[in-house]
Amino acid sequence: MLVIALCKGRFLAPSLDLLTEAGICFPEDIASSRKLIFNSEDHSFRAVLVKPADVPTYVEYGAADMGIAGRDVILESRADVLQPLDLKFGYCKIAVAGANGISEGAPPNTSRPTIRVATKYPRITMDYYNSRGIPVEIIPLSGSIELAPLIGLADRIVDLVETGRTLKDNGLEIVEVIAESSARLLINRAGYQTKRDEVLQLIQALEKVIR
Amino acid sequence: MKSYTQIPPGTQIVIGCAARRRRVLERTICSVFEGWSYEEIIPPIFDYYDVFVKGMGSGPEEQIYRFIDREGNILALRPEFTSLVAKTVATRLANSPKPIRLYYSGEVLRFEKPKGGRQREFAQIGIEHYGGSGKTADVEVLLIAVETFQRLGIQGFQINLGSVDFFGGIVDGMEFPADQITQLKDVLNVKDQSGLEALLEHLPLGDRRKKILRAVPHLTGDKAVIAEARELVKNPRSVDALDHLEEIYSIFERLDLAQHLTIDLGEIRGFDYYSGILFRAYVRDLGFEVASGGRYDGLPAAFGEDLPAVGFSFSVDRLEQIVTPTLEIPDVEAASIDVDDGFDKALQLRRSGKAVKLCL
Repeated sequence: MLVIALCKGRFLAPSLDLLTEAGICFPEDIASSRKLIFNSEDHSFRAVLVKPADVPTYVEYGAADMGIAGRDVILESRADVLQPLDLKFGYCKIAVAGANGISEGAPPNTSRPTIRVATKYPRITMDYYNSRGIPVEIIPLSGSIELAPLIGLADRIVDLVETGRTLKDNGLEIVEVIAESSARLLINRAGYQTKRDEVLQLIQALEKVIR
Repeated sequence: MKSYTQIPPGTQIVIGCAARRRRVLERTICSVFEGWSYEEIIPPIFDYYDVFVKGMGSGPEEQIYRFIDREGNILALRPEFTSLVAKTVATRLANSPKPIRLYYSGEVLRFEKPKGGRQREFAQIGIEHYGGSGKTADVEVLLIAVETFQRLGIQGFQINLGSVDFFGGIVDGMEFPADQITQLKDVLNVKDQSGLEALLEHLPLGDRRKKILRAVPHLTGDKAVIAEARELVKNPRSVDALDHLEEIYSIFERLDLAQHLTIDLGEIRGFDYYSGILFRAYVRDLGFEVASGGRYDGLPAAFGEDLPAVGFSFSVDRLEQIVTPTLEIPDVEAASIDVDDGFDKALQLRRSGKAVKLCL
């Protein structure tokens, strides 16, 4: 039996749709139930429901053989996992945004030697600014990131942008896109080797659905 | 000073039954190594920082615990054994008859995120074979790895065998900047198909080369993989690597051990020092590899003595998680002695080799 870690929240429905199309059906109450573990109808898979940011951890440790999570979450976690498939949903961008679109070379407030950036992705943000040699102070937040530049908590934000609507409604715009993100299939390195036939079967089934 | 209950992150303390289990595990493994005529080497716990950087290459060097001695030299706590052993073989043992077979067992230290039962200080046990090039030495170390698993009673183990020369031969002819090679390795390393496609769009490569790169992540399986790879590559370095792997596989087939061997040409990770075969061992239901090794012919030369070398190491902490049910830990039966009778009885029993436990 293979264990697959799925994200609670907005990724759950498309993940389940994809698996159903690949012939792996979980009970219908999976999205509404409070249970966290579900077996597929033919008992060849077990789904565990976890917070999106935790999916890479479950897979890296082999507690789950595989998982479905956004590329943003994988990059932020730095988990050492295989990522063979782009599942082609959950498209968005990880982007730097600010009140105006001036370039990163000139911090908006020159009275401070470092710019302040609010984000849910402190590691991605740090890597991005370090690689450009721009000193930065990261302010980790867990929600409503767009608020930070509006009330003077930060000069910039690094956040997930889907349509850009939220940014626009708050008078912000994208300064630069750091990376494109979409849902990915994650696989534990050791499990890929020791359960290869089962794993490859699933990859092939998913590939057929995506194409 | 913090409270004494506080321990530095990444350290661990092994006590009583767990410590006994570890020692039994280590002794069992060492007896396999000794059975193949390997002699123990006990290297120092620290050496000059440069020694390890030469060995591990750039990248992992930031995991090294460094410090400065009173004369201003930069020293480091050993993050692995191979550099230390290679340096010793290339210097102190330069005039010894070859081949040289050595094993080590001890703790190494790396500043990394503790995971998979491995802390920042963790135990490694492994062998090194110097002075033997070609398949005989390669097969020897692989057989020792197999026997170690068998002696520990571990059933579902699998050794993935590849070669850095296979991928090396493919990349050799590609003339683009190092950072693009790194990007290419990064996507292949996680078998990221869409990432690879995105890269291939921008790289000046012919269709044949692209076809090879698309195939690399999937070249894993039994002997058929070698035949499949032969269809793809023509460069001599890759072809030699395939010939070599095929020979090893055939020997394992003849010895009826091929069920433990998986050819894995899609694996391109590893320290910079690897130069030929490369292997990793997995056990079903453990999320991390338990052993890794390979050939590192260039390493002794870096320390002044040109010698072929091959070896591997087991992660003791990870092995412990799998062998717990299968490894027999003998209980020590001790006679309880009442001290009121004086110590004569206790001494008498000790002289006859019996264990005693004094009652207070």
